[in-house]
Amino acid sequence: MHMANELLSVPVAAGTLAVAAGGVGLICRKVRQVISSDKLPLMGILGAFVFAAQMVNFQLPAMPGTSGHMVGAVLLAIVLGPHLAAVVISSVVIVQCLIFQDGGLLALGCNIINMGLVPCYVGYFLYRIVTAGRSSGLRIYVGAMLACVVALEVGAILVPIEAALSGVLAVPFSTFLLTMVGVHFLVGLVEGLITVAVLAYLQQVRPDLVLDALSGRVRLSKKTVLWTLVVFTIIAAAGLSLLASGMPDGLEWSYLERPDQPDFKPIISNENPTISAADELQTKYTPLPDYSVRGSKAAGWTSFAGIVGSALTMAVIWTLASLLRRRQLKCTTHT
Amino acid sequence: MDACIAFAQKAVKMHHAYIDKFAYQDSPIHRLDARVKFIVTIVFTAVVISLPRTSVSILFCYAVGPFAVLVLGGVPIGFVLKHILFVSPFVLVLALTGPLYDKTAATVAFGPWAWQTTVGWLCCWGIAGKFVVTMLALIALVSTTRFEDLLAGLQRLGFPKLLVIQLSFLYRYIFLLIDSAQHILRARAARAVGRIGFRAGIRFAAAMLGSLLVRSVDTAERVNTAMRARGFDGNWRTINRLAVRGRDYVFVSAAAGFIFGLYLFVRPMLR
Repeated sequence: MHMANELLSVPVAAGTLAVAAGGVGLICRKVRQVISSDKLPLMGILGAFVFAAQMVNFQLPAMPGTSGHMVGAVLLAIVLGPHLAAVVISSVVIVQCLIFQDGGLLALGCNIINMGLVPCYVGYFLYRIVTAGRSSGLRIYVGAMLACVVALEVGAILVPIEAALSGVLAVPFSTFLLTMVGVHFLVGLVEGLITVAVLAYLQQVRPDLVLDALSGRVRLSKKTVLWTLVVFTIIAAAGLSLLASGMPDGLEWSYLERPDQPDFKPIISNENPTISAADELQTKYTPLPDYSVRGSKAAGWTSFAGIVGSALTMAVIWTLASLLRRRQLKCTTHT
Repeated sequence: MDACIAFAQKAVKMHHAYIDKFAYQDSPIHRLDARVKFIVTIVFTAVVISLPRTSVSILFCYAVGPFAVLVLGGVPIGFVLKHILFVSPFVLVLALTGPLYDKTAATVAFGPWAWQTTVGWLCCWGIAGKFVVTMLALIALVSTTRFEDLLAGLQRLGFPKLLVIQLSFLYRYIFLLIDSAQHILRARAARAVGRIGFRAGIRFAAAMLGSLLVRSVDTAERVNTAMRARGFDGNWRTINRLAVRGRDYVFVSAAAGFIFGLYLFVRPMLR
């Protein structure tokens, strides 16, 4: 569920980047005030642990050939507390983007929100509510299970919302949403099972890790909790209302109005009745829908020139560079 | 026996091909300032993303830029393309929903040829093309920039210090822990031949993860002690390799000319 650049429009990408940067910046400032530098190596190595944990795969039932692995946000939130876990998972998402190219550079904001901030906080709150400070086995397991399912689900719901706000995809919002919710319910169940199993193992081997005793946790003040909830509610509500109103976003506006071309006709199909009616009218009464403009002879030749020219340029660059490198190699072998 | 070994090898095959192994080479591109490359990559990506969703041919022109950077940086293109294919499934699935839902007819002309297709297919190719081009740019950035330099640059650009320290630690220990995870996986693969079932699978995986977590916490304690002994006080001190020089200005003007030149002059012709 790493978002890619292509599924976002620039305004949505910029907005989510700003929200993520603000959130992570705030958390970093708060964490920095509270923890000592003793905790820095622990955070870094647990981040690396998340990577290693994602490599440990296991077969899934009923689907031979597929294997699942852990995501680890909720486990980390339980062990480290939500603030430290949010910083750690954000750093994991950044490294996944930069070193392993999972998810795009502009989609980093979305990915930090969907997979870092939201799962850590949502998961941790649910876990705290269910365990209620006590550490009986059953409470911990139920809490972890619930936290995993809900946390991953909320993160997954954000993906279609962000994509729909961007207006890039052709797939209807409800279909996309249902698919994501369905798939991530299963993913959440598996994540819950493995998290519970790891917690059970830890309770036998190092109970101090599970039982809230790892020093360096940051306690949450009620005010922070309240404010986080308020901000997320506002963002979610704003996102949903934008969707519900069917208001065209920036990209669609740029399609609807092209001041440089007065006879440009919009091609976006939209739930909005006026726009779809206009589309229908257009397909009925124009001999060829507006793509025929692009299909004209001249346009064909320019795109031909563009593609062939680009290919030739790349070939020239490559040849020159390889010639240059061969000459360099020759020089080094001679000397 | 052979099948056994093959299975074990398959099981422990590295999930991620890490790409920054080319970052430690030397080339004119590698010598550029990390901040400059980072900002150029962001601008490039934003411009490519903001292209109309059905214009495919302009993407070929935009691909020339990162291609040139990769070639000049001495990064093998075949490796990069293979890696892009490896990370593409989620995007490809979403791109392929385009032809299913958007069936508005469209005529595409390419040189002497013209054929009928749908807007959905154009969008599909547009998304796939943008994915490849922006990924080329991202890979061009990270495979020609040392991660330490990138982090130092990011901190200079205003990243929180805690996050930069966190990223440095993370980067330092990722490959060590991935290595030990691979040892554990190899041990499991050597003992469990074939399918072991879901319940047992979860139990084994949990024990592996749990022991890995405990080991990580212990390692962290030892690392912390060792670092304290050497005077670590929570501040990260690095040799400053960042400096914007003449060649950086040349690179920025070339990149800006390329990105906005295509946007202003070529895009209206191609669409």
